[in-house]
Amino acid sequence: MEQSTRWWRTTAFRVTLLHLLLTLLGTAALSGVAWWATTGFALRQLAQEVDRDSGVLAQAARLGGVRSLAVSIEARLGADRSGTQYYLLAAPDGERLAGNLASAPRAPGWATLRLEGLKEAESPELLALGTPLPGGGFLIVARDVGPVRQLESLLLGAAGWVGGGAMLLGLMGGLLMGRGVTRRAAAMDAALARVEAGEIAHRLPVRTGGDEFDRLARRINAALDRVQGLMQTLRQVTDDIAHDLRTPLTRLRGRLETALRAPDDAGWRAATEAALQDCESLLEIFAALLRIAQVESGARQAGFAPLDLSALAATVAEVYAPAAEERGQRLETAIAPGITAHGDRELLTQALANLLENAVKHGREGGRIRLALTPDPSLVVEDDGEGIPPDQREAVLRRFHRLDAARSRPGAGLGLALVAAVAELHGARLTLGDARPGLRVELALPAPSRPAPGGP
Amino acid sequence: MKILLVEDDAETAGFIRRGLTEAGHVVDHAADGPDGLHLAMSEGHDVLVVDRMLPRLDGLGLVRALRAAGIRTPVLFLTARTGIGDRVEGLEAGADDYLGKPFAFAELMARLNALARRPPMATEATTLRVGDLEMDLLRRQVTRAGRRIELQPREFRLLEYLMRRVGQVVTRTMLLEGVWDFHFDPKTSVVETHVSRLRAKLGGEDQPPLIHTMRGAGYVIRAPD
Repeated sequence: MEQSTRWWRTTAFRVTLLHLLLTLLGTAALSGVAWWATTGFALRQLAQEVDRDSGVLAQAARLGGVRSLAVSIEARLGADRSGTQYYLLAAPDGERLAGNLASAPRAPGWATLRLEGLKEAESPELLALGTPLPGGGFLIVARDVGPVRQLESLLLGAAGWVGGGAMLLGLMGGLLMGRGVTRRAAAMDAALARVEAGEIAHRLPVRTGGDEFDRLARRINAALDRVQGLMQTLRQVTDDIAHDLRTPLTRLRGRLETALRAPDDAGWRAATEAALQDCESLLEIFAALLRIAQVESGARQAGFAPLDLSALAATVAEVYAPAAEERGQRLETAIAPGITAHGDRELLTQALANLLENAVKHGREGGRIRLALTPDPSLVVEDDGEGIPPDQREAVLRRFHRLDAARSRPGAGLGLALVAAVAELHGARLTLGDARPGLRVELALPAPSRPAPGGP
Repeated sequence: MKILLVEDDAETAGFIRRGLTEAGHVVDHAADGPDGLHLAMSEGHDVLVVDRMLPRLDGLGLVRALRAAGIRTPVLFLTARTGIGDRVEGLEAGADDYLGKPFAFAELMARLNALARRPPMATEATTLRVGDLEMDLLRRQVTRAGRRIELQPREFRLLEYLMRRVGQVVTRTMLLEGVWDFHFDPKTSVVETHVSRLRAKLGGEDQPPLIHTMRGAGYVIRAPD
């Protein structure tokens, strides 16, 4: 068995990898949304507050002058407990009039400032808005972004934990799933390896669940059943040939030896003719065996066509009527008209001929034979001979099987085997029953699924 | 008759050739497909005997090529392949008859005679005559010496088959195939019983027999001498 498959080429690994990748993507997307919804929102809130404060103070400056603005700023700073508000009010000459910012660029609009050395451990980051005042003054309102940054790092940490956890879970899930796939594939692989090694009867494990693996296993098992059946047929044929051709071959050999020892031309001629006759019956057995094997292989199904079953039955009855009469038998027919079927005309003809032949041969001399075709459609042949005991009815369908009582009559025991094979090929049910007295054989063909073209 | 035999097995070819020559026929022999095709195209043979499995060009291909070239010489396929589909395939390729190996020489002989003497379709007769036996194909009536003989449809076909081959040996299997379309060999003597019934219907006690049994070969219908 080939074991060269590397671990990274296994389905399990690929499934795990894909699972992980998807987990990571999901976590990243989720974190992005969370960031936008929280930190982004907080920053926007902050900017709004700065903007509003600037507006109020600028309004105060316009109404009450720069001095009153300075008082307002000092009052705000005095009330700020959190220490996150920053202001700078500069005179037109640049002198600081109020506020807790030492200096700042005199640039109107938004800016990000960094304070240095104001608090020891950190240098706060400020979001600042510069507004020029009427009369040449300049106002800067700023807020510490620190709390937002704290929230941000908190979120990042959380995202890290969640992502890590998801990854771990994904890895575990992927491994579990992969391991399941690997284990079941390995079980199927091992089972098939045993079949390959010659244990043709071994089958793949099938759980009751019925997932795609079970369906696959069931399908493979069904294919193996079929192969095994065909192999058994083949073995059966080989065995049959080996065992049952030995007798006629021995007889042939005897005849030829007799011919060699024959004292005169007449004796030599008679023995040779007898040997030829033996050859002929051997060839007939071969032909019958080959035909049964061919029918059993199922290849003939390709040639199935609609056929007139009534006409077929009438022809076969007509062929055998004189032969039956010769044995004093009366051949009665009850053939329903216009019955069609889908199948192989030649094989069905031969199957029915074999049944009638048996009836003529094994039926009572001077008795009655009945051939019926019912609209099911079903072919029935009855005779009033000795019949077949119930415990033998299955065995007579096998090749070369002959009832003890029939051994004295000519035949090789292949007729019913062919009928059985033809029945199987057509999906027909072959039943051997009791005609009280005699044998009743019924060949029930599957009902035609569609009406014949042109039919009602 | 001038017969072309295309057969690669030297022993089989020798056996067939000897038999046909003894029966007074002229036999040409080719051992492979292209040679056979070449001979069949150039020489005027009455009938061809072609093995299906041949070196370089198989029998099917040979017959197809021959028919494509417009040569209508009757062809009998001789083959070890006697599967059910094989016969149909052979006939569809353009062969006129099909005989499975191994075969009785009498069977081959009878079939070759039938093929070579097959009447052309154009000169289809409406009345067949053998001695005082007359068959009207249009009215489907049979009379012997003016006396009407009642036949069942299949008996009529059997007699027609024989009368169309007057003087030729017709084998059991030829009758099974030609009259009943049976392509297998029944163990019971169905042909024998049908022929003897027909014979009884044709002949009164004072009339000479028309249908004769050729031992080990088959049947022949011919006018009394």
